[in-house]
Amino acid sequence: MKLDKAIDDVRDAETDLAKELRAVGERHAVEHDLYHLGHTLAKQCAAHLEQLQPFAERYGASTPGKRVAESPRLVETLRRKSAGLLGRSEMSGMLLLRDLRNLYLTAQEAEIAWVILGQCAQAVRDQELLDVTNLCHHEAEMRGKWLRTRIKESSPQILATG
Amino acid sequence: MADRIADIWGSRTPHPAGSAWPVRVDRFLEQGVPEGEVEWTRSACVLCSNGCGMDIGVHAGRIVGVRGRAGDHVNRGRLGPKGLFGWQANNSADRLTEPLIRRGGELRPASWDAAMELVAERSKQVLDDRGPLGMGFYNSGQLFLEDYYTLALVVRGGLGTPHLDGNTRLCTATADFALKETFGTDGAPGSLEDFDLCDTIFAIGHNIPETHTVLWMRILDRLEGPNRPRLVIVDPRRTEAARHADVHLPIRNGTNLALLNGIQHELISNNWIDREFVAAHTIDFAKLARTVSAYPPERVAEICDVPADAIREAARVIGTGERLVSTCLQGVYQSHQATASACQVNNISLLRGMIGKPGCTVFQMNGQPTAQNTRETGADGDLTAMRNWQNPEHVEELARSWNVDSIRIPTWAPPTHVMQMFRYAEEGSISFLWIIGTNPAVSLPELHRIRSILEQERLFVVVSDPFLTETARLADVVLPTAVWGEKTGTYTNHDRTVHLSEQAVEPPGNARSDMDILLDYARRMGLTDKDGAPLVNWSSPERCFDAFKAVTRGRPCDYSGMSYEKLRAAEGIPWPCTEDHPDGVKRLYADHRFNTETSFCEDYGHDLLTGAAFEQKDRAEMQPGGRAIFKAADFVPPHESPDDDHPLLLTTGRTAYHWHTRTKTGRARQLQAAAPEVWVELSAEDAERLQIAEGDLVRVASPRGAVEGRARIAGGRKGLVFVPFHYGYWDEQDGARPNGNAHAANELTITEWDPVSKQPLFKIAAVHVEKIGDADGASAPAPTTTASEPLADGVPATAGGEGVSETMERDG
Repeated sequence: MKLDKAIDDVRDAETDLAKELRAVGERHAVEHDLYHLGHTLAKQCAAHLEQLQPFAERYGASTPGKRVAESPRLVETLRRKSAGLLGRSEMSGMLLLRDLRNLYLTAQEAEIAWVILGQCAQAVRDQELLDVTNLCHHEAEMRGKWLRTRIKESSPQILATG
Repeated sequence: MADRIADIWGSRTPHPAGSAWPVRVDRFLEQGVPEGEVEWTRSACVLCSNGCGMDIGVHAGRIVGVRGRAGDHVNRGRLGPKGLFGWQANNSADRLTEPLIRRGGELRPASWDAAMELVAERSKQVLDDRGPLGMGFYNSGQLFLEDYYTLALVVRGGLGTPHLDGNTRLCTATADFALKETFGTDGAPGSLEDFDLCDTIFAIGHNIPETHTVLWMRILDRLEGPNRPRLVIVDPRRTEAARHADVHLPIRNGTNLALLNGIQHELISNNWIDREFVAAHTIDFAKLARTVSAYPPERVAEICDVPADAIREAARVIGTGERLVSTCLQGVYQSHQATASACQVNNISLLRGMIGKPGCTVFQMNGQPTAQNTRETGADGDLTAMRNWQNPEHVEELARSWNVDSIRIPTWAPPTHVMQMFRYAEEGSISFLWIIGTNPAVSLPELHRIRSILEQERLFVVVSDPFLTETARLADVVLPTAVWGEKTGTYTNHDRTVHLSEQAVEPPGNARSDMDILLDYARRMGLTDKDGAPLVNWSSPERCFDAFKAVTRGRPCDYSGMSYEKLRAAEGIPWPCTEDHPDGVKRLYADHRFNTETSFCEDYGHDLLTGAAFEQKDRAEMQPGGRAIFKAADFVPPHESPDDDHPLLLTTGRTAYHWHTRTKTGRARQLQAAAPEVWVELSAEDAERLQIAEGDLVRVASPRGAVEGRARIAGGRKGLVFVPFHYGYWDEQDGARPNGNAHAANELTITEWDPVSKQPLFKIAAVHVEKIGDADGASAPAPTTTASEPLADGVPATAGGEGVSETMERDG
């Protein structure tokens, strides 16, 4: 049984996503919704890891739960400042779209990792794990849907004007 | 004669549940006007969403007073202080009477032809250079239905940009979205008469006595009559309603969702729910029950900082009443997790099975008098006549009605919300912005940012307004508009009642109605339908109303059975009004079939945490089939919380005497005198700790800006700072921005909005307060008659509204 592998994959994906949510939120701090929701969802990633912790122990996942830490203060300030400067230029739009696309792909990585873990939970009849994966997978889907909505709104303004 | 500044709500006419609310006709006439020579014109008040039926008194071509209409179910003759005195702004000497064009850095008078030609020329230039996405339109909640509908057609059907929003976004966007999430479409389910019939009232984040003074008169007449309804009030301030409450929960701002989840936890665990109703007429109860199970009173007490027993008691009152009316407003809509919380207020009515029946309803209240029409006509984030922008059949219907290709109507994404529009203007992708009847330079959050966006050379700003507001002073072209009393049109209040307001006087100088301005614009822009005929094919308000009637046929807000003639004969008609229901419909959902059907609903719904929009396939999967939807969400802490540098929590809000940015009420002598300047309201505990006394000068600072004013020590919760948002800079030297000390509350607020309704947050910002000067015998310029009632003795009582007559039925 390699359930530990599936758990590690979820953890890695959620950790990467949290990092990227914060980075994109801060890089585009002038997009106020991205900044705030980026941080909210990064916290959600951390909560997902916490919910997974007992199963990591149960199935002997190799790495200890990585800390999904907040961005160090100085880095955050720098990113925010440069966001403010760049925010007055239309060039920021292209950068935004690129970041949103990458973020969407990272979110999809995490989503499919949860699907895989959920499948395994069913196969080994672990109802507790299945409950957790169902809940977290639903939230993972919502993240993707949110990014889809945001990309659908922004892309015409960035690419179809001027 | 009554002083209706000193006595906001006037004389009582108590009555028991179920009996008709007695008539009391309020009237105010300018001193010295010969009563017998006054001519009365039918209208309705436009100084809050109650929309009281009133007549406008005219003498020698001038408005000289107002009186309430006795037969109108909305007010039964009563008027509030704003309605009684606010009309005087119409006669103000500083009304704009000529268009203004910026030349050499200054706004100078110009002809209509020159101004409109410039607006059209710049529009065409932007359309050529950038396309429709370079154009933005931001309007109001105070125009008439006919103005809005013309605007919606010009912008969505003509220019084809999605960038059209109303300031309803700051006001009732959350009401709109919460209704759509739960019931499938916008539209208040109940009638104001439900307040006459209920036995329990639950108001959260809704300071009824000040925002809806006449509705509070209605409630007071029940509270002081036999079989008084029980009252649960949630408000961090000690409002007049809180003083009358059976249970008052002064929760920490930003925690509405936790409290509402806690109340539902109690309703479910005590089985105070109508299981039969829930099973037959709702979906997703199991999800709701699972979510709220994590909110026992002890946990909620900790989050909200109110006693667990008080939460239990509130739930008991709500859970054991037989006829419940719930209501919420800005304390929910402009706060953290706005749509999520507003949906829980709907849920409570559904859990109790108390909707669509006499005395049982939920009010997602409106603030502005005509906000409902911005929503119905599609001049905000909605598509005309409550159509669903994601439903191709709805868009096709609209395109047929407008005789345009459906692809011309921008529906690839939801209509752009105002905060996003300002962001596009900030980065430069919107370069033409037309602001109609609203004042973002005072009313949007984080004002230094808003001013800096409007001041950009590369942004062409047009402002239509009756006055030279803070925003108008930053414009490139200013167009003078006719207001209420100076044009004919219709509007709809918060219980769907439609009133006709007739023109009583001529507009001053060369001011024009917004509809006429837009018709002129459409002509100059050469907007046509797909056969080359003029796109906007009306030239009078009545013909516009007829066109709107046609486009609403078969939709929830069906006006097809209405006409100006009928509105002249009736005392307000609640939509839907059709051949089958010629007198309108008092209560929606009497059969408990809701508008959630995939093919009919106005919106497919959202994820409440992220605002992710569901698509048609998601909705179809849910199979709501006419059942209401329980939406559930977990509480998450607000993004900005107090810290060492900013240890207090700011909320902004209004007072009974002013409306928005005081554009009108600041020009009505009695209202302005009742609340002449900004103040900073503190709790007794915080004042003592900071060694601040009544009347001391204080400075409030947030990470974004600072405001100075005198301190009022009042009965709000510890840790709370209240600053009214009415005060800008138009009546000062510069007129557009702070000249020395700032005092607009929105210098402090944060740029953040609800993920679903996109309504900005005005109720949460971390602030620091310090004393900067002694009172020297002065007290704060705040009313003593409202939630701002001082704790200190010796503050002069608010007064100065003499001369109002109140005629009760029994007086004949």
